[in-house]
Amino acid sequence: MSEALVEVGIALAALAAVGYVAHRISLSVIPAYIVAAIVVGPHEPTSVLGVSLTLVPETEYIDVLAELGVVLLLFFLGLEFSVDKLLADRRRILAAGTVDLALNFGVGIAIGLAFGLDPVTTLFVAGVVYISSSAIVTKSLIEEGWIANAESGPILGTLVYEDLFIAVYLAVMAALVGGSGDVAAVAADVGVAFAFLGVLGVAAWGGTAVIDRAFDLGPDELFMIGVLAATTLVAGAALTLGLSEAVAAFFVGAAFSQTDHVDRIEHQIAPVRDLFAAFFFFSIGLTIDVTVVTTVAGLLGAAVLASTVTKLVSGTVSGRFYDLSPVRSLRTGIGLVPRGEFSLVIATLAVGAPEPVSTVIPPFAVGYVLVMSVVGTVLIQHSDRLTGRLSPYVPASR
Amino acid sequence: MTIYETEVPGVGRKFEMEIDGGQRLVVVLHHDGKRDVYLRPDEDADSEQLFTLSGDQARKFGSILEGAYFQPVELDEVAVPLGEAIIEWHEVDDEAELAGVSLETASIRQRTGASIIAIQRGEETIPNPTPDTRIRAGDTLVTLGTREEQSGFEALIGGDG
Repeated sequence: MSEALVEVGIALAALAAVGYVAHRISLSVIPAYIVAAIVVGPHEPTSVLGVSLTLVPETEYIDVLAELGVVLLLFFLGLEFSVDKLLADRRRILAAGTVDLALNFGVGIAIGLAFGLDPVTTLFVAGVVYISSSAIVTKSLIEEGWIANAESGPILGTLVYEDLFIAVYLAVMAALVGGSGDVAAVAADVGVAFAFLGVLGVAAWGGTAVIDRAFDLGPDELFMIGVLAATTLVAGAALTLGLSEAVAAFFVGAAFSQTDHVDRIEHQIAPVRDLFAAFFFFSIGLTIDVTVVTTVAGLLGAAVLASTVTKLVSGTVSGRFYDLSPVRSLRTGIGLVPRGEFSLVIATLAVGAPEPVSTVIPPFAVGYVLVMSVVGTVLIQHSDRLTGRLSPYVPASR
Repeated sequence: MTIYETEVPGVGRKFEMEIDGGQRLVVVLHHDGKRDVYLRPDEDADSEQLFTLSGDQARKFGSILEGAYFQPVELDEVAVPLGEAIIEWHEVDDEAELAGVSLETASIRQRTGASIIAIQRGEETIPNPTPDTRIRAGDTLVTLGTREEQSGFEALIGGDG
């Protein structure tokens, strides 16, 4: 036990140290957390100048902490997922979100096929390159002050569309990789998954009053534990049934989003999420052997280049649906470039999948998120130069 | 005056308020209670962040703006109690009917009951102005009168207070 405590201590110290550095140079903490784990983890680099760096092994308890991180990330996605916003602005969100999906999911498919990957692996590549990081994007919007500008409309609208898509996508992919292989069995698994989600959906939609009362738990401590218990239990039940725990957590979050408890959850459970999410990014780094990332270098390079361009294009087109100027339309594209936590959630699903998904996707996704979270943040910080260069090529509206 | 309210997933709520001249004040209310306040000078401009307040500071500041925290004292319109009558300062702008008119022609006392006891013109103060003193745009007229007379005068010079 003393060993485990020291390991968790080292993990937290590494997270704090790199997180501080990332904060100082205005980069996202997500790639920093992964890098921290790569450095102190069991894979290369294992030593520097003869000093061993293999401080934290891949262990079960870190996996459990990481799993709670995934569950809470998706729980918050559900909690903050706004059906009202989706419905109120449906025409423009639908247009912008569909262009975003077609171009960015499409480019993933194209890259997968170009590299001769099988259909399931290709779908994973497409999912990983499609989804922008809500965490990095919203944080950047606030830091750059774009949140108060018109471009925040299409950016946030696209995120809402992506969030809904990712819930469905994860449910389908979990059935695809968990199933026995033939089409009928996969279809049955997808059916079970959607039946389960249907039940959760109905509970979320109709159970607001019940949930509201049930979680009126008095002291902060009880409230926090109660919400965590409900979320973890439902997610665990889903996983036991061979379904995606992440999607189940999304629905639990959505159920809470209709209640009066939202503010309290944001207040009390967001710090818990941040802690476990840090362990999630850390555990991703622990499993990654950087020398393996080089085996997917070609795929990675192609994906980074092509999907940066497609996000810029789809964002710019989305901006036009919102009648934005060329500069603001370009910013919409730039704002959506960062990829992060959800690409990694997809990758964790791939870890348990049969080959070649499990050998290609995890190193690809980690390499991709490392590059795109940094590239995305840097593009946003230096967007003026980019929009200055590119805006003459964006046709003026009307 | 229109106020737009939007939800910002993962952040909180955003309020946009139209103020004078096509400007917009944008307030982002974070879940943790922090408030970011931005100003967008016009529709096409980028928003500039003005300041950030904690929840506590924002509530104090809000009650000051509301006038609930202090009695608001506006420095360019100090009212001095003088029995029923009060003294007020009024600025004459370019469009004012009184600009360029002498006090005699303006016959303010007859029309409103308020009397002009001094004129401030830049650095200079003219106490007890004579009937032939001409009022100029940019002057500040110091008037004595009841609250009612003062508001009558206010209406006459077309100021909005």
